[in-house]
Amino acid sequence: MKKKVLGMMLGMAVVLTGCAGSTKVIEKDTAAAGGESGAQQEAAAETADADGDGEEKTQEAAAAEHKGYVFVYNDVTIEMDAEAAPIVEALGEPASYFEAPSCAFEGIDKVYTYGSFELDTYPIEGTDYVSSVVIKDDMVSTPEGICIGSSRQDMEGAYGTQWSDEEGMIVYEKDGMKLCFILEGNAIASIEFRSTAADQ
Amino acid sequence: MTRQKIVRIGLSASVIGISLILLQRLLVPKYVTDVVEGRMIAEYYEESDKDHDVIFIGDCEVYENFSPQVLWDDYGINSYIRGSAQQLVWQSYYLLEDTLRYEQPDVVVFNVLAMKYNTPQNEAYNRMSLEGMRWSWSKVLSIEASMTEEENLIEYVFPLLRYHSRWQELGKDDITYMFRTKQVSFNGYYMRTDIKPAENVPEGKKLADYTFGDNAYLYLDKMVQLCKDNGIRLVLIKAPSLYPYWYDEWDEQMEQYAAQNGLLYVNLLEAADEIGLDYSRDTYDGGLHLNLYGAEKTTRYLGRILQQEYGLADRHQDARLEAEWQAKAAAYEAEIQRQGGYKEP
Repeated sequence: MKKKVLGMMLGMAVVLTGCAGSTKVIEKDTAAAGGESGAQQEAAAETADADGDGEEKTQEAAAAEHKGYVFVYNDVTIEMDAEAAPIVEALGEPASYFEAPSCAFEGIDKVYTYGSFELDTYPIEGTDYVSSVVIKDDMVSTPEGICIGSSRQDMEGAYGTQWSDEEGMIVYEKDGMKLCFILEGNAIASIEFRSTAADQ
Repeated sequence: MTRQKIVRIGLSASVIGISLILLQRLLVPKYVTDVVEGRMIAEYYEESDKDHDVIFIGDCEVYENFSPQVLWDDYGINSYIRGSAQQLVWQSYYLLEDTLRYEQPDVVVFNVLAMKYNTPQNEAYNRMSLEGMRWSWSKVLSIEASMTEEENLIEYVFPLLRYHSRWQELGKDDITYMFRTKQVSFNGYYMRTDIKPAENVPEGKKLADYTFGDNAYLYLDKMVQLCKDNGIRLVLIKAPSLYPYWYDEWDEQMEQYAAQNGLLYVNLLEAADEIGLDYSRDTYDGGLHLNLYGAEKTTRYLGRILQQEYGLADRHQDARLEAEWQAKAAAYEAEIQRQGGYKEP
């Protein structure tokens, strides 16, 4: 009988530990705001190109080399889910910086403001990744030439008419990231590049 | 089947059952040293005397910004905070239902930041709000209302199914607190005495629609009705946390809702100057949550409102309660000292 019970317990242990690679639920270093999915780690790998080759590139050409829609500022290309440190270094001193610790978890979301745009990051196991870029005024534009105040026609001319409505927001999705517009009347009032890591 | 065989099967089943229970106790997170917020919901049941005048329910903006010790010391109000990280409105509703199984407070205070969420958000936060609840129909319904697409009820019934992979990360706490636990809050209050000034707090991002969602309103309506049915006065508050951003459009909706339902709504963020909050000293994380100094000021302010509006009696003459709170005060003071004592401005 002892052998049978031991056998059953061993069997249970094998079954219970057999899928030990499944997603962890409570993990201190994981950003709560960015979700607990371990899959995010794989989503965030590529380092942004800080344009060290000396070649002059148009914003559009720089953007074409990256996944999804990207934001380009002073030759620094900002891609969603890219590691934040080299981008932040290339952008230089921000006008302001804010840290938002996640409730209960140790992860810190960071907000860097550079005058005309804001760059937000989320942490995974000690490394920060880009979660969003929010354009704040009409001094900067997307690589496709759309800025605050552009019209709906301009937007659809640049990005097409295949968008979805998310709670009143116009959303273009590409390569696992979102480009979001809010319109007031016929004019664009908000532009945000957004990672979908937090949605997963 | 012989009697001997039945006994053997029974014994085997018992051994397996006990092994699984022990394994589960070992593997579930203990929330004692790290992420202590996960312990708070369960801690309520250990209260020896559940005869509270005021129950707070809500997210981190209640358990970090109000001190029941101050409500007792200054006003003789016996209170408890049933708060948890990112507690969603439906979780607050079912937690209130659960609380009413044990007691009937005079006043329930609900923090309205959670109205911004209309759908289930995050499993880790769900677990911290739900796992600590004792089993009841309210808990089942709360789990059902809270689960994200990846979650299953069975994994809440048998947490071992969810946490079995934790064997790789077991630590000392998992052994030490396998059969016992330790107090992590002070009547639900999470104390921090450190200081980190609020600087460069960003404004809220523009939203396409500022209207709170139908589901959030549904459960707020249910909370209002539950309080009415039980003769409880419901107070809506917005705690004085600077971030996440609280939009004027949200505030207007809460003002209108309170007026339509005959409720008191107190925006403590607007009252920050009157409270005497100094965000260069009264927060420990740059404005998201108040530290001890900020929480004590805010509690004094709210306590005065609660006493004036609802005539809550000063219960200091209740010898049994006084003795309990004296013991709690000693633990409260010891925790302040453990964290390095009061810091000078």
